[in-house]
Amino acid sequence: MNNIEITIPKTLQEALELISGGNEGIGIIAGGTDVVAGMRQGSNRFGGINQLVDVNHIKEMKGITGAGGIVTIGAAETFSGIISNKIIRKELPLLAKACGTIGSVQIRNRATIAGNFVNNAPCADTVPVLLAYDSTIEIKSLAGKRELPLAEFLKAPYRTQLNSDEIVTSIKVPLPKGDFKGDFYKLGRRRAVAISRITLALLIEIKESRINRLRIASGAVTPIGTRFNGIEKEFEGKTADEKTLKAIASRLGERVIEVTGLRWSSEYKLPVVQQICYQMLYSAVYGGGK
Amino acid sequence: MINLKFKLNGEKVSVKTEAGVRLIDLLRNNFGLTGTKEGCGVGECGACTVLMNKKAVNSCLVLAGQLAGASIETIESLAEGEMLHPLQRNFLEHGAVQCGYCTPGMILSAYALLDENPSPDEEEIKEAIAGNLCRCTGYKQIMDSIKATADELNSKNK
Repeated sequence: MNNIEITIPKTLQEALELISGGNEGIGIIAGGTDVVAGMRQGSNRFGGINQLVDVNHIKEMKGITGAGGIVTIGAAETFSGIISNKIIRKELPLLAKACGTIGSVQIRNRATIAGNFVNNAPCADTVPVLLAYDSTIEIKSLAGKRELPLAEFLKAPYRTQLNSDEIVTSIKVPLPKGDFKGDFYKLGRRRAVAISRITLALLIEIKESRINRLRIASGAVTPIGTRFNGIEKEFEGKTADEKTLKAIASRLGERVIEVTGLRWSSEYKLPVVQQICYQMLYSAVYGGGK
Repeated sequence: MINLKFKLNGEKVSVKTEAGVRLIDLLRNNFGLTGTKEGCGVGECGACTVLMNKKAVNSCLVLAGQLAGASIETIESLAEGEMLHPLQRNFLEHGAVQCGYCTPGMILSAYALLDENPSPDEEEIKEAIAGNLCRCTGYKQIMDSIKATADELNSKNK
């Protein structure tokens, strides 16, 4: 790995020309917290790489801006940058919370938001939250640009729709309109530097004692971060009482098992997913903990 | 091979290296700065923590070819001659050093914290060193040392 070439383009155009230059062994690096560790461990996902394009110095891929009810986060923005941003702390608290649970200060100072979902590990902590917020991503190539929902972009564990001549340039998160309450939950083996075993992101809006809108997404317990549109539709319009909240939690557990199949860990994870989901719903609807 | 120029412990340096060499190897092998330790090599233990543009990073996850123009500070930059930095002195005085392997990284994480937040509370200190594993002290003495340093620096600056 020592003799790979590393190029640091200053503009997106330069970076796109590099990755379209015909070298099949070219890859993109930002924070490097997955790439460097993966290459060192001989992961086949990074096998054959002989050149890396460092996108940390491309202005178009940095920064956080809010306009027209949409927060645009540069693809190469670090988690530390996101956590310290006032708009995100105020308007997208679940995202701030999820970013704050990633790795350690050292990791968050380097690791980037696009790195998290382009790598697309099942346990990627920002993915459930970004899904719950209905995020879309912007992708550019020399041929032009395309925008698509994050949910469509993510295909399978460690696989996305990104083509080899494309770079994710930003992620757009629409500010939830309405009176949403919700939370992000992460369970790992310890509180810091832990690979998530269960993550849940949840947003719920109550209108006149009924569930007006519901958004639930999971990570780590599903092969990739997953939104549960079916459950959301099933329960929207229902009375927001304890019985309904319990039914939602119960359905979520069943659905997770349907997606992943029964595993050795299901006996533990199923009740935990259901109980956590119920607690999160309860706190969102009634306030306080249960 | 590339001709790499960056700032190391306050001085401009240049070095001939392969681009894919990790920062930790560059520091130890090319500059003889062996205060930076390698533990896990995958960003979990924090023994290799250095400051990159004033922020704590794992030097096992940064490649030489990514450094151009960066400013790197290692544990060797903290003491002024024979005079230890207050963090180093307090680590010794509070018994926060046993085997010492985690100490350089731990001190640099604490240094970065105090640089940004001169009066951290206990939770903030815990958060700042959550990425630095210590298997000897049990962390209590480390927390005490950082708190004592913050108090000391704050009373000096009054």
